Amino acid sequence: MSAGLHLKLVMPSDPRYLPVIRGAICPLAEAMGWDESDSRAITLALDEALANIIRHAYHNRTDGLIELECHETADGLEVTLLDKGEAPDRTKICARAIACDQPGGLGTHIIKDVMDTVSYRATPEGNRFTATKLLRKTI
Amino acid sequence: MRISIRDAGEAKIVEVEGDVDLGTSPDLRRTLFETLLHAPKLALNLAAIRYIDSSGIATLLEVLKDSQRRNKEFVLFGLSPAVQQVFHLTHVVRIFQVFQTEEEALGIA
Repeated sequence: MSAGLHLKLVMPSDPRYLPVIRGAICPLAEAMGWDESDSRAITLALDEALANIIRHAYHNRTDGLIELECHETADGLEVTLLDKGEAPDRTKICARAIACDQPGGLGTHIIKDVMDTVSYRATPEGNRFTATKLLRKTI
Repeated sequence: MRISIRDAGEAKIVEVEGDVDLGTSPDLRRTLFETLLHAPKLALNLAAIRYIDSSGIATLLEVLKDSQRRNKEFVLFGLSPAVQQVFHLTHVVRIFQVFQTEEEALGIA
């Protein structure tokens, strides 16, 4: 049996790299077994997580570094993002209710809705965002 | 991302092509706010958008609020399945006036 798919990338905290990352994530999700719609949603969720790091951890500085790791597990996908910017304020994550006409805070709701588990941890290496998505196989 | 603007009677049509994300949504925001000043109605064609993220949706919400403040109309049309998916995920689909075609968006269908 071959090893699960694994992708590791390091990107600068520059939004111009976001399309490049999206271009890698979507086909990777499809290769792991998700359909086009789910692969798009997973790509969106990871793009939102990266955008949050650029905006909030690095305050739109483009010279920070973000490590992205996607790992195929027995159940599906595990994604880890590591940055060395400002730690997120957990009290503000998903603090605002969705389904209203306020423009802020939509990204964290997308991440939470699309992914099955989401966690944010401060570690000695930096801020670690981990999210998993289960692949629900049908027979 | 490419943006073009054209007249349709008194309304302005803004066409967007490509990806709307953290890097490009400020350009879209600037164009929409500026265009809204010069017409009573602004219709945004989303048919050629390949990707939109929450910063793009937030931009549309800001423009909608500005249009309401100015007593103007801001409508959307031509949403692809990929764009519709993001509208559903962000629960904003009912906040906007969304039409399938340009004619419907302009009220001439």
